Amino acid sequence: MISTKALRVTYRPSRIEAISDVSVEIPQRTTTCIVGPNAAGKTTLLKAIARLVEYDGAIFIEGRDISELGKALRRILAYTSHVSVNELLGVRVIDVLLTSRYPISRGLADSEEDLEGIYEVSRSLGIEHLLTRRIGELSSGELQRVVLASALVRRPRILLLDEPDSHLDVALKPWLSLYLKKLSEGSTVVLSTHDPIFAFHTCDYFIVLSHGKLLYSGPYEDLINNATFLEKAYGIGFTRVELGDRVVLLPLYSALKAHVGE
Amino acid sequence: MLVNRKALFFFSALPLIMITCTCALTHVVNTGQGVGGYLAEYRFYRTLYTLMAGSALAIAGCFLQSTLRNPLIDHYILGVGSGALFALYLTVILYEYRPLIVALSAAMGGLFALALTVIVAERISGSDVAYVLSGIGITSLFSGLSALLSYYALTRYPYASLMLVGSFILATRDKLVYVAAAFILTYATHFVLSRRLNALLLGDEYAAQLGVNPKLTRLVASITSGTSASVLVSLFGLIGFTGIVAPHISRLLLRTSDNRVVVPVAATIGASILYVADAFSRAVTTPVMGEVPAGAIVSVFGAPFFLLLIVKRFKRGKL
Repeated sequence: MISTKALRVTYRPSRIEAISDVSVEIPQRTTTCIVGPNAAGKTTLLKAIARLVEYDGAIFIEGRDISELGKALRRILAYTSHVSVNELLGVRVIDVLLTSRYPISRGLADSEEDLEGIYEVSRSLGIEHLLTRRIGELSSGELQRVVLASALVRRPRILLLDEPDSHLDVALKPWLSLYLKKLSEGSTVVLSTHDPIFAFHTCDYFIVLSHGKLLYSGPYEDLINNATFLEKAYGIGFTRVELGDRVVLLPLYSALKAHVGE
Repeated sequence: MLVNRKALFFFSALPLIMITCTCALTHVVNTGQGVGGYLAEYRFYRTLYTLMAGSALAIAGCFLQSTLRNPLIDHYILGVGSGALFALYLTVILYEYRPLIVALSAAMGGLFALALTVIVAERISGSDVAYVLSGIGITSLFSGLSALLSYYALTRYPYASLMLVGSFILATRDKLVYVAAAFILTYATHFVLSRRLNALLLGDEYAAQLGVNPKLTRLVASITSGTSASVLVSLFGLIGFTGIVAPHISRLLLRTSDNRVVVPVAATIGASILYVADAFSRAVTTPVMGEVPAGAIVSVFGAPFFLLLIVKRFKRGKL
């Protein structure tokens, strides 16, 4: 389980408080979604759990304070961020994936285990044909899958994904949703997204943030029965819609129309 | 590409094999021609120095390009060379030419110029073009100051003008310890840094989430490359473009950005470039117009390569 106690993140030198007094408990082996409007603090919360930003308060993973985990944290946790490289430096997909195994690799040389791990993950994500391609030659959707692969090649117990569904087409989003649900059988997946359909189809646990403050944390079932948390976060109305085997909360376009009209 | 133990051993050994074989060949050829004594020793050291300096400058180029994620830079572009040269001239004027003293002052001058370039580039925008522009500014400043000082430096050190273009004419035995130190420092550091630099290529945040400290890695890489390049400038003068060209050729040949193999292959290419340039100078230009410094020959061939890179980027609309 991941838990935060009175978590506060302040960006310097602007002193903007991105997260203030957030205490949540994220259950193990579930898919948890952090939702909220722009600048709600979703990415900052993920980065704090990954110990990539300075924070006040405490974060525990499986009962241990992450500040005491040292390098072990990098072996059990993976955070996906955007990869942006200069084309002329010739970085290829295989280079990214081999580099991503750094926390679990031993020594300077690669082993057969490294290669097998990379091929296994690449096959499962359908990107094995991209391995020798340059990063700059990939489409946004392909790059998104490479970024996910770069986290998975380490076989982390905790996967923190910042908007993993962005740039994916309508066919790839449901595929990713099912993929992450399957993944959560063995690991804890925490993600942020702006797509409510993707969020409600993928996640069993929700954290709702607004202006850096926690509005809700709890299971999917409780959130869809009470739209007020999302309505408060986004400042617009939401409606319950049955989509396939899931009930989702979608923004009310009619209410938005009136809002824009004003 | 997968870098297993055999591949790692092979590629890492390449620059050492190249240096050893070329030096041995030089010795054999000289012996075969009946050249002995001082001349044979001079030719041996000159060969050794071009190879080690070429390797060290190429590795420094790999370090700087990877750590700043910028394919358009080397120690020369970032002002390290001109900063070191300025410090060298200043030391010669205020004190005298003593290898240890000038090597130390050049290292300080080179690192100071590098720090200035980085500070100015970060204030502009931190982009790769900002680094080139900032580097050009700092290089111009210290080159101008060096040119001014060179008139005074010439009166105290007769070879001061040679330092402006980079020459291996002064390949004397007493320089071995400094050249070897520059080479060993960069070559040994690459074993420690190469995987970390691979992570840094993907961004500071990416490196941090892999457990690599980006600031510490950048600092170590910058100090190592800046110091080595500056020491070489204090001995042989400004040698540009080897550091920018060799890493690119290495990446093109290997079709990877993996510094575990790119660095040693770049070192081998850098050694070859300087050796060929110096040999060209001695064998081709000497009978016609006298000995042209190797640095000038490298620049003649390196500058078009650099311009080609800029044009390539411009065509892609990224400048």
